Parts: sequence; C-alpha cells; structure tokens
Amino acid sequence: MKTDDLIAALAADNTPRPTPGARMAQALPVALLLSLVALVLLWRVRPDLAAALGSAAAVKTIVPVLLTLVALWLARGMTRPEARARAQWALVAVMVLAGGLALAQGIATQGFAGLIGALDTPNLITCLVSIPVLSALPLAASFWAMKSGAPANPRLAGVAAGLLAGAGGTAIYSLHCPEDSLLFCLPAYGGTMLIVVAAGALLGPRLLRW
Amino acid sequence: MTQSDDPSWEELMRAANRGDQRAYARLLSAITPVVRGIVRARGGSLGAEGCEDVVQEVLLTIHLKRQSWREDAPLRPWLYAVTRHKVVDAFRARGHRITVPVDDFAEVLAAPEGPDPFEAQDMDRVIDRLEPRAAQIVRAIGIEGESAAETGVKLGMTEGAVRVALHRALKSIASLRERMIE
Repeated sequence: MKTDDLIAALAADNTPRPTPGARMAQALPVALLLSLVALVLLWRVRPDLAAALGSAAAVKTIVPVLLTLVALWLARGMTRPEARARAQWALVAVMVLAGGLALAQGIATQGFAGLIGALDTPNLITCLVSIPVLSALPLAASFWAMKSGAPANPRLAGVAAGLLAGAGGTAIYSLHCPEDSLLFCLPAYGGTMLIVVAAGALLGPRLLRW
Repeated sequence: MTQSDDPSWEELMRAANRGDQRAYARLLSAITPVVRGIVRARGGSLGAEGCEDVVQEVLLTIHLKRQSWREDAPLRPWLYAVTRHKVVDAFRARGHRITVPVDDFAEVLAAPEGPDPFEAQDMDRVIDRLEPRAAQIVRAIGIEGESAAETGVKLGMTEGAVRVALHRALKSIASLRERMIE
C-alpha cells in the first residue's frame, strides 16, 4: 500500500476520539463514588465522623484529597507524549518529603516504641486490605482514561495512575478509619498507597503500551 | 517558514478534530515527509521500503493517538514525541536497537520527494489479515480513493456504518501489525 493511500484512508476516518481528560472526567468520579458507596454500605463511616472532620484528625482526609488532585494533574500530564510533567512530579516529591519529615519528627518525639505501639492494632490489617480494595475501581478508571493518551513512559504513567487511585482510595477509607494518630496514619496510609502505586507500575507497561 | 496564507499545522489539526477531512489529509501529507526524514535518518539499514513501513506505522499511530495532542499546545513537539516513540518501538520489533535523542529533530530535513512511489509491503499483509469486508473498505477508501458514501452504496451499508467499520479496521490494523511484526 502506498503511503498516500494510507493517508486517504486515515483522513476518511473522522470518528471523534475522546481525549484522556474527557474519559477521566467521565470515569473517575463514578469510580470514586462507587468506592464511597461501598465504604458506607460495607465498612460504614466512623460513628463520630462529623466530630472527627471538625478536629485536627481531618488532616488524614484532607491530605489524601490534596494528593488525589495533584495526582490527577500528574496523570493528565503523563498522557501527553511530549510532556515531562516536571512541576507535577516536583509537587508529589514535596508532599512525600513533607510526609517523611512529619513521620521522622513523630518518631523523634515518641520514639520507635511509640511507632510500634501506634501500629500494633488490628486496624492496620483492615487498612492494608481496605485501601487497595477501595482503590481498585479508581485504578481501573484511571487506566481506561489514560489508555486513550500516549504516555512516553508507560511505567511512570502507571505510577501516576496508581498514585491517583491510591490517594483517592485512602481519602475514602479515612472516613471509616478510627485511628487518628500521626504515627498510625502516616506509615499505614503511606505504605498502603505504595502497594497501589506498585500495582500501577506493574500494570502500566502492559495496559498503557501504544 | 510558514507563509501567512498557509494554515499552521495546529490550525489544520484543530480543524481535523472538528471533522474536517480535507484539512486532516492536508496535514498528514505535510507531516509525512518530516516523519520520513526522521525514519530514514535513523534507520537507513532497513532500506527505503522498510523505512516506508515504519513511516506508515507512525502515521497510523499519529491517527489513533491524535486525541493526546492538546489543542492549545504546539503540534511539532507532540509529533516528534509520537514519532520518536514509534520509531524506537518499530526498530526494536525488527531487532535493531536504536536510540533517538529527543531534541535533535529540529535539524532533520524532510526527505526529498523523488520518483520513489513510497510503496510499503507490511500494510498489505496486515490488511489481508482483516475480515474481508473490513479489508475491502480500507482498500476502497485508501487505494481506490472512494468516499465513505460511495463505498457504502457498493457494499449496501450506510455511510455511518462504513465509517465505524473503517475506524475499527484501522484499530485492528494497529494491533495486528504489532503481533505480526514481533
């Protein structure tokens, strides 16, 4: 086939193609809402949710929500083949660093015994299982949206999808989680988000190849 | 470089996104020599015909991924990134490991138009693997230059159905190519 003939065939196909952003706007809110409904029905929100959200404990919801927004921006950038998304990665790095510093400071004041004490609760297992489960649908939605893009690096794009889904799942789970201490939330939420990010990194090269 | 009465590539692509087939054909024709220049500069070892296979693969990818270009961004960086990605991929699939530095496309000259008919073989083999009707549609519109409406009359399909079938066929071509060449 001659290249000019191929061009004629391509030009005749003017089926509109949804952008990754349009697909994300379609699928992600639905996925997050379904996860939220699942939490309300199956996990149930903590009984003192209103009081918790009015106190300092609200940070454990607010920070994942902020991270979700940053990751959304990152994921959007990663679907463009020419974009490096440097600003987005820098912002993620700042947030991770801030989390690390807060954890270090917590350990410095309360010692490793304090850390182990905070994590020594059955709620840790619940957290480790629940966040990935609640992140599964948002992860699928993110991959579906990003698949219509053209990420220059599918693995890093997968990391972005994992971060987006993991942060979203964590924000939802935080409405159930009865633990409010920094020494629980930072390592448990952060570590569990890493599981979802790792899943994204593994799936990225497979699902986002083009 | 661009004359003032010539629409820019960005304008053509935006028009294409609104369904303007003529603008899209014009854009694809304009970018093809640039893509061909990049492919030939990188993959002389494949020969002219092998290079043309890669050029066609890049064009197909540009088509199927055109929605990843953001309308407010310049088109060339996007185009070079897509081309680079696909060229590396295509040569890897053919057992040639090459690297394409990101920033040096600006100096690549478009391949000169010569007597070479720019015929490539891979695409025909892939089209042969399509369902007969899909292959017929791609050939009628591409090689015979029919419109979707004319093809529809010939095959007893509506114009819309022809377009949907063409779109599916192009997507299948992309995935079949990948499987057949690797």
